[in-house]
Amino acid sequence: MLLEIAELTKVYRTGIRANDGISLAIDEGEVFGLLGHNGAGKTTLVNQVVGLLRPTSGSIRIDGRDMVADPGLARRLCSFQAQAQVPIDGLTPRQAIDLLGQLRGLSRGDVQRRRERLVDSLDLGEWLDVDAARLSGGIKRLVAFAMAAVAPGRLVMLDEPTNDVDPLRRRLLWRQVRALADHGAAVLLVTHNVIEAERSVDRLAILDEGRVIAEGTPAELKGRLGAALRLELVLDPDLIDLPVSPFGLSAVPVGNRLMVGVPTDAAGPAVAWAESLKRAGSIEEFTLGPATLEDVYVALVGGSEAAPAQVEEVFDATAA
Amino acid sequence: MQLLRSYRLLVTWQALRKKNYLPLMMAVQTLFSLGIVLGYPLLFPTLDKTSIYLIATGAPAISMVSVGLVALPQTIGEQKAEGSLAYMRSLPVARLAYLVADLTVWLAIVIPGVVLGVLVGAWRFGLDLQVSPLVLPAVVMVALTATCVGYAIASLLPYMLTVIITQALVVFVFMFSPLTFLPDKLPGWLEAIHRVLPIQAMGEITRGTLAPNEFGLPLGAFLTLAVWCVLGFGVTYAAMSRRG
Repeated sequence: MLLEIAELTKVYRTGIRANDGISLAIDEGEVFGLLGHNGAGKTTLVNQVVGLLRPTSGSIRIDGRDMVADPGLARRLCSFQAQAQVPIDGLTPRQAIDLLGQLRGLSRGDVQRRRERLVDSLDLGEWLDVDAARLSGGIKRLVAFAMAAVAPGRLVMLDEPTNDVDPLRRRLLWRQVRALADHGAAVLLVTHNVIEAERSVDRLAILDEGRVIAEGTPAELKGRLGAALRLELVLDPDLIDLPVSPFGLSAVPVGNRLMVGVPTDAAGPAVAWAESLKRAGSIEEFTLGPATLEDVYVALVGGSEAAPAQVEEVFDATAA
Repeated sequence: MQLLRSYRLLVTWQALRKKNYLPLMMAVQTLFSLGIVLGYPLLFPTLDKTSIYLIATGAPAISMVSVGLVALPQTIGEQKAEGSLAYMRSLPVARLAYLVADLTVWLAIVIPGVVLGVLVGAWRFGLDLQVSPLVLPAVVMVALTATCVGYAIASLLPYMLTVIITQALVVFVFMFSPLTFLPDKLPGWLEAIHRVLPIQAMGEITRGTLAPNEFGLPLGAFLTLAVWCVLGFGVTYAAMSRRG
């Protein structure tokens, strides 16, 4: 494995335990997703890998070499797109990408070739010579991605790379993320966009309160949910008691919706049950569809209202 | 070699980032100098020759101290708060290269304001300044110390505290620091404090090299500045290298 993280714990001076015994491994050619709510500990993890934070305990190895002991080496081996906007106001995308490529050791000629390919692939040509201060947030993020990708390290870490990016260019961006892995880099992708992650990652881990609460391929995690289908009920605003699922699988409230896990062979009874709820006025509408990674995520981490303890019970019940 | 290459590329990066602000910064510094050389004679209509030289050479000193101890820490504090400093610290370059490159660009911002300040003072009072050959290294040393100490303030303190302290420093530098007057005008206790702080030494070195015929150039001032410069740089370098 290229990146090996073992029992990584980070406790801030304030006493906050942001990472709590995290172990992960990512191989070359792999796009690995790190999912979790805001405050789940994703950025703390990434900042320790790139040497901005010192772990309280645990180890981080790239190619078997100790990154905690040598943060300078960590910065050379990792390309990093931070969650915050890159400080490039005053520079044009051309200047910013070229500077990063040269700082990572490429010659001017190589940087120029790589930059031209990236700019074409991300459809950034019309902004190439515009001062970044005048660029939209989405275009700036694409430039930041190009800066991380122009001379990629063995490990490429992307923290929320698609924030503010328009849908068409998001596709172009995902294609380039895959291309980085295809060329041999390990890609660690930090996101809370579960739907995009499902389409883009090979494996993923879900973080909650600093711990890895699930890890695997999207298919494996969906398998653990035990439900191939998902019934989404839009609850009546005046409803007091939540409907009780007859299927014995997860039923997680998310806002004014209830996400109910349904076995494949129970599609008919599920629709009948939902229609009876609708007739009774308990729900406004419903949809039945295939379960997604989002359902796994919701079952594990819960909607904003779901208490973590409840959610874990739900998942334990469904995983058993 | 790698260090020099990184330094060159980072100077380019930081200079391009600040190029939009450079004219504004120079305008503010010129206004500082103008305010001092035009304002003081309004407060004190009859100025003796020493006072005139003190004001004319104090204006560029105040301009250097203000950028180094106020504008710079506020900018760095902002970069810390918005996360852009962390991004720069994640680049595959030596901390030394980054810090020296940034200081180089800050020096480049400070120096034109000093030249303008000197010209404004000389013009207002009709002075024919016979500057010392040491003026260039002296001004660079003053500006470097101011920027290093300012950088250290921003590196050590949280952003909000940096803003509060630097605002207080503006009043302290303008009103209670011996830059446009001699230290014997201060109460004994404040005079003693200024013997330790770098601001008085900055004033002495600036006026001692800009108007060597009027003022002496105490060697002790160079020593004080050297100590503060090394201290500021060391603290900043340690903070820059530190992993939280």
